[in-house]
Amino acid sequence: MKAVSIFSIPKNLPVHERQKRRHMLASLGIAWLVMMQVMMFAFPGYLRGDYIGTESLAMLDTAIIIMNWLSFALTVPVLLYCAWPIWQGVFKKSSAHSMRVNMDWPVALGILTAFIPSVIATVNQRGEVYFESVSMFVAFLLTARYLEFCAEQSARYSEVGVPAKLDQERTIMTAKADKIAFAFVMIQILLAIVSGIVWYLFIDRAHALPVLVALFVMSCPCALSMAVPTASSAARGIFLNNHSFTPEQQEFVLSLTRKTANQNLYGSLAWHILMAPLAMFGLVAPWVAAITMLISSLVVAWNSWRLYKKFHNQGFIASPDWTAGKAVQG
Amino acid sequence: MESLFLLLPVSFLFVIGIGIALYWAVFSGQFDDTEENGKSILEDNDSNHT
Repeated sequence: MKAVSIFSIPKNLPVHERQKRRHMLASLGIAWLVMMQVMMFAFPGYLRGDYIGTESLAMLDTAIIIMNWLSFALTVPVLLYCAWPIWQGVFKKSSAHSMRVNMDWPVALGILTAFIPSVIATVNQRGEVYFESVSMFVAFLLTARYLEFCAEQSARYSEVGVPAKLDQERTIMTAKADKIAFAFVMIQILLAIVSGIVWYLFIDRAHALPVLVALFVMSCPCALSMAVPTASSAARGIFLNNHSFTPEQQEFVLSLTRKTANQNLYGSLAWHILMAPLAMFGLVAPWVAAITMLISSLVVAWNSWRLYKKFHNQGFIASPDWTAGKAVQG
Repeated sequence: MESLFLLLPVSFLFVIGIGIALYWAVFSGQFDDTEENGKSILEDNDSNHT
């Protein structure tokens, strides 16, 4: 029998869910495509310093202006199509998922504070543009959300053989993760605005915007919101592949799931807390901030996948780890 | 460096083309199940050859 993986498409997926998944995949792919191209267009701007005083500078500047316009033209569809769920989340009235909806605010703020000044700089033909940071931010954010969505979706459509306790655990852990993420985002936004103002008034006016954008990008709790869904969907995969669990084996898997979810949660929190001061001192460029965000969400996905893989590789019952793990747990 | 002024629009058009192709591929179901189609050749019905 083919093993059920964390992110596999459930067989009985209804049409609208399948369509939703396709939309997410399409927007993810397009966002990554545009991100790579816009990064190409941004790169000559980084090298401009080397050409100051040479005769090709004038031509390079013309090329940079053209590249800025092209980046702008590529970023607009990303914001309108790929980032559509984010704008929807911002304008949606708070529902059962009100915590979740609130998370779209910092993201939207981050995108707009990077995008609007970039458009102004493009039109005026001077100043820095951050289109590459915007498209990276959207692409990485969508990566995290796609992983989270797949994990969550496959959990919803293959309930057979999964103990009800997993659902209870999941609800409890989700509530906890939401609470932590909410506090985290509030503090991060406050920090971002204060550091932006301090940079603008006292340190370096030109550098205030990148600092603000970097902190907004880092305030995105993608990794935090992935922590629980990926862990519980790993547990679901384990249960679906091993039907003959005794209650205490189930309990053992559940405790490992809790452990993994907590690792995800506190690990990504620690990572963000570590990076925030660096960004406040202006050491982290917006696109570096986007990469740190991607790293934390990928590590979370990998950590959950490791939980799943542990049982998948060894065959649970015969595993020598089983007794050892139990001794440690008990 | 003059070649940039030709290459930049070309790369732009390439990205647009690839984006459209990707969109089409996703919505025609190319990525819905990446394993099943690969396996289907092994589960082929070989019984009716002459």
